[in-house]
Amino acid sequence: MGKQHVVTMLPGEGTGPEICEAVRLVIDASGVDIQWEYEDIGLDCLEKYGTLLPDKTIQNIAKNKVALKGPTTTPIGTGHKSANVTLRKVFDLYANVRPAKLIPVLKRPWDKIDIINFRENTEDCYAAIEHMVSDEVAQCLKVITWPGSYRIADFAFKWAKANGRKKIYCVHKANIMKMTDGLFLDAFREVAKKYPDIESGDIIVDNCCMQLVRNPAQFDCLVLPNLYGDILTDLCAGLVGGLGFAPGANVGDGCAIFEAVHGSAPKYAGMKKVNPSAVLVSGIMMLRWLGEEAAAARIEKAMFAVLDERKHVTYDVGGTAKTDEYAQAIVDKMHAKA
Amino acid sequence: MPTFTETAKATKKKKDIKLVGVDMYIITDKGIPKFDDIGPFKCEFISNRGTKVWPGFVSPDLLQVNWYRCRFMATKDVQDADVNTFLDALSKKGWWWSAAQKLWNYDGEAGFSKAY
Repeated sequence: MGKQHVVTMLPGEGTGPEICEAVRLVIDASGVDIQWEYEDIGLDCLEKYGTLLPDKTIQNIAKNKVALKGPTTTPIGTGHKSANVTLRKVFDLYANVRPAKLIPVLKRPWDKIDIINFRENTEDCYAAIEHMVSDEVAQCLKVITWPGSYRIADFAFKWAKANGRKKIYCVHKANIMKMTDGLFLDAFREVAKKYPDIESGDIIVDNCCMQLVRNPAQFDCLVLPNLYGDILTDLCAGLVGGLGFAPGANVGDGCAIFEAVHGSAPKYAGMKKVNPSAVLVSGIMMLRWLGEEAAAARIEKAMFAVLDERKHVTYDVGGTAKTDEYAQAIVDKMHAKA
Repeated sequence: MPTFTETAKATKKKKDIKLVGVDMYIITDKGIPKFDDIGPFKCEFISNRGTKVWPGFVSPDLLQVNWYRCRFMATKDVQDADVNTFLDALSKKGWWWSAAQKLWNYDGEAGFSKAY
């Protein structure tokens, strides 16, 4: 075994705990040495701590600098602040990295999709500056800053360079929102000058949506402000197989949190029915982040093999396996190959 | 294709609109502002790019720009004229501000968001 990593595990609520146990089973069997420290997050914390994100959890993540998070749900219209958004704010996790890559065994109408979305994670309409400016008019401030735009663009180019990516497009609506999206685009263009080896360009967000569903293979990396990123990353997830296979990472300069982007499916809680693949592929991203490429590749290969055989897969991909049975099948496949 | 001869008209009027504070957007390159109470207005929190930077924990890695939202809540019943006096006092103290947004409760409910 190599270096030991200490990782905060945030199982979340609903189906989160059973998903995270399945994922832990697979990761622990991959040969990587991880000490998991469990912390609470989500709806179940409300009664116990009066908040969706307890201070104890924040302190643990601050100590370990890396976390793997299960799904959580934000209550709508109750006044409780989203745990996800709070995490991004507190740790300034400004880069939301959302790969969308075709999984070979999932039948999709495309030959190739391999897109990495870089969503700015802290600004835009998510700055939580909203007012009822009269009894009939609500207003939300869209906050875009030069430093915030510059650093997400720079992060994307650095990631692209380190991972052999060839092309980055900035997604915007600067033809209408000339100040805000215009600033975002200006910063992107400024950063692009530093990376002449990577092709860069820009595309208006509505056209980007149309192009994505017509010919997704033309895209490599996309950089997006927060709101467009929120929408287009789910669109991309839909292109490759849905949120059940969509990984995500929220990365800042001092911390990284890896998470599935789907909800907590509370109606299935305790039934061990749901597919843990989204958290698992997020865990694979985390292993690569930790420099554990061999373990990541081992899990990925075994997962694809299990999906390809279709004998031990969950209901959403046409099988009958329970969450833990699918995970055990991946473990068995890893050991069989060893 | 049907032709609509009447356009739907709806209103959402509130009975009770009460002034309870002011959000001030302050521009400064000197870091997080500090305020004493100004008349009946007390600073409740300060945020930067939507993230609360005072009071409480602030990540040392947090990106901050030179534009702060400073929420001042009234400590007693106030009127529009009190806001005018407050703005004048704030300017005389040397604070440069880009905008002010009055905060109202509508039928007892806050018409403004909290900071993260």
